[in-house]
Amino acid sequence: MRIVVCIKQVPASTGVSLDPETKTLRREGAEAIMNPFDTYALEQGVLLKEAHGGEVIALSMGPLRAEAALREALSCGADRAVLLNDRAFAGSDTWATSYVLAAAIRRIGEVELVICGRQAIDGDTAQVGPGLAGHLGWPQLTHVCALEESGGKSLTLRRMQEEGYDLCGLELPAVITVVKDINQPRIPSLKSRLASKKAEIPVWSAADLGVETEKLGLAGSPTRVVKIHPAPCRQKQTLLIEGEAAECAQRLVRELRSRLLL
Amino acid sequence: MQTKSASEKEKYRNVWVVAETVSGQIQSVTGELLGKARELADKRGCEVWCVVLGAGVSGGLEELFHQQADAVLLVEDQRLESFVEETRARLLVRLIEKHRPEILLCGATVRGRALVPRLAALAWCGLTADCTGLDIDTESGSLLLQTRPAYGGNIIATIKSENHRPQMATVRPRVMQALSPDPKRRGRIIREQMNGGDEPAGKRVLRSVRDTEARVKLVDARYIIAGGRGLKGPEGFKLLEQLAALVGGAVGASRSAVDAGWAAYQRQIGQTGQTVQPKVYIACGISGQIQHLVGMQSSDLIVAINKDPEAPLMKLADIALVGDLFEIVPELIRELQRT
Amino acid sequence: MQRHIDNRSYQVEILPPKQSSEKLDQDLESFASRYTRVLEAGYCACLTDNAMGHLAFQGLELIEELSLPVEPEQVMIHLNTFHTKEGLDQILAACRARGIKHLLVVSGDGSERLPKLSPADLGAPAVESVTSVELLGYIRRQHPGAFNLGVAFNPYEPEEHEFEKMKRKLAAGACFVITQPIIGNHPLLERLMEEVKLPLIVEAWMSKKLHLLSECVGYEIPEDTAYDPVANLKALHAHYPGCGVYLALLGFKSQFPILKSIWV
Repeated sequence: MRIVVCIKQVPASTGVSLDPETKTLRREGAEAIMNPFDTYALEQGVLLKEAHGGEVIALSMGPLRAEAALREALSCGADRAVLLNDRAFAGSDTWATSYVLAAAIRRIGEVELVICGRQAIDGDTAQVGPGLAGHLGWPQLTHVCALEESGGKSLTLRRMQEEGYDLCGLELPAVITVVKDINQPRIPSLKSRLASKKAEIPVWSAADLGVETEKLGLAGSPTRVVKIHPAPCRQKQTLLIEGEAAECAQRLVRELRSRLLL
Repeated sequence: MQTKSASEKEKYRNVWVVAETVSGQIQSVTGELLGKARELADKRGCEVWCVVLGAGVSGGLEELFHQQADAVLLVEDQRLESFVEETRARLLVRLIEKHRPEILLCGATVRGRALVPRLAALAWCGLTADCTGLDIDTESGSLLLQTRPAYGGNIIATIKSENHRPQMATVRPRVMQALSPDPKRRGRIIREQMNGGDEPAGKRVLRSVRDTEARVKLVDARYIIAGGRGLKGPEGFKLLEQLAALVGGAVGASRSAVDAGWAAYQRQIGQTGQTVQPKVYIACGISGQIQHLVGMQSSDLIVAINKDPEAPLMKLADIALVGDLFEIVPELIRELQRT
Repeated sequence: MQRHIDNRSYQVEILPPKQSSEKLDQDLESFASRYTRVLEAGYCACLTDNAMGHLAFQGLELIEELSLPVEPEQVMIHLNTFHTKEGLDQILAACRARGIKHLLVVSGDGSERLPKLSPADLGAPAVESVTSVELLGYIRRQHPGAFNLGVAFNPYEPEEHEFEKMKRKLAAGACFVITQPIIGNHPLLERLMEEVKLPLIVEAWMSKKLHLLSECVGYEIPEDTAYDPVANLKALHAHYPGCGVYLALLGFKSQFPILKSIWV
């Protein structure tokens, strides 16, 4: 089974502040990690490969330093990794990102399954997975919380719903996005980490993918961020409630109701 | 669809709300979005259409007119009984091509989040997910202003889709408020049909399981009731479970409580546990050390119950109740059960 | 452990490189060098287990991959409850294979990436969540007599709560106790020494940045607070002459060389 797992490198902490002079984002801390949701996607790919044979390819679109996240993927069991990097990709929104990822998956060829994490902790839109399925024209299943059957040309999976789950049959090739309940990602050993350092990770540019320039990057993105500002701070006033327990309880309930929270 | 010129853009009119239906029932998020759609449509001088796709749904349509829909675009078909977003996306692309809405809104539910990004990819549209605010930029271009948090809620971003129509946005349930239903409102039904090309091969829903036991997850919970060392033991958590059940919330714990073995690590909130952003965080017997605060300080409203009014969490809280949680929490439960 | 105290041998904490390290080769070299120096000086190398919930490499795999020497008396491995059962058993087996005896058993800090032992894993189905107590019991049952098991004591937690926990840790098989960082002295240690007749090791904070202890002590220590770690170390020896000392955040360049002149 040839499986592609889409990986995004994100800042380790989502703490950000606004630079008052340049009005751009200052990310607190330089540490970058593989998006936590993607670790579940990767683990699922590796589990499927261990069960059915084949290979897992980690794929990421990002700046050159995203290579570190791809090496991490290799140390967690991916067989090879590919980085999509081009100045033209900079500033891509989720539409442009999924467009480029789809092109890369077509170039890899004979891919049977694409696995993404549910969402990235920085953008947290959860749009790339289904968008990618749309660009590829493949069936999709999002919020996958369990794999029940695999093997052959289809999968039986549970898709989480607010009120329970749907049991679905999915024909391959397909795209799935997974949630954290699906597995427990393995922790890379030092041995596999040292081995991954030696691996060669090819870098593909826009030219390698045969993509249309007008659909790339900031200019090609249908959406554009026009303004950012820090989230409003907490109000400093604490409403203090004292007295008999029953009174306190009633007052709290009244407060919550008046704020339309109950 | 890409719309570079003004004349191309002008062809797109009206605000669409794609209804969320579960087993033929229209969900409340639809009404919430219709209320917002009305506001947007009034600023644009156009109509609100509610798009309903399903089997056996023609029952609740009157409601949609009462909730501000001017028209209901209805596709009723047995093949739409289960939620197969591949089919719905193709169908919606045809409907969009034919009727050309300027704005398309949908609930950011599990279904909505599966469907709309796929639709946006197929239709070459801009999509902003989980908007907390929607407005029309009346100063220039009359574009839809889409506001949403990013970076775990630390930043608010405003987004526009200038050269693509329809402008798409999803909104989570209970973020917008539905308008009071107006029983005098009427509207028209526009019927459309599925065609063979809509149905994909590829996915089938084999069965749907309703999980009545399903525990609300901390990360999605609207209400979190959290317990700390003040609970003095695992039994205290049963009290919090009762309260959580009444408000449809989840139960969390501070590191002290988990460390003492009173609650599972999955419930831990804080630096070495989970980070949560509920609408309401009720902390019971938690002093509020820094490593705990880090995990819950983005909650919309913080309520603290503690004997010690000087505890750090009591000072941070929006509402602080001074007293014995073993007296106050049962009273809260009683009060909520009464009403 | 009493032997370490009698021989004035320090417990020196060495943090394994983090998984997220962007200069792994450098960090591995630094780790190996510190470890070797500690052993050569006759001290005990204490290797932490995903400290603060940050994913790091394991002590045993570092010893293996870097071919580090093991002196059974001179290595202490921290072990917490954030492992899979397989992972835990592997670590214990590797310790036995190499003759490592000293284990510091703690509940530990978790994170999203770390698994957690379940009550069933440790044969303790009655509890809600496993702590160091259940882990101690498991290790004693699986490997009777093989290990010298240490536990932590936190004087900054409420007194009765902490002593009650200590009773349970003792019942589960604790053989020695290590405290959280102590500045000068702490009143609860007197009670601890009275009630617990086990070798006691006090932790010395060797970094100048005292404010980093704010989370540990539970109140905010201002960033610019003046603090002399070596003076504090000497004070600890003076206050607690019968106790061992655990050095956290030791400066290997400037502080390590002068250690031998401090504990005499």
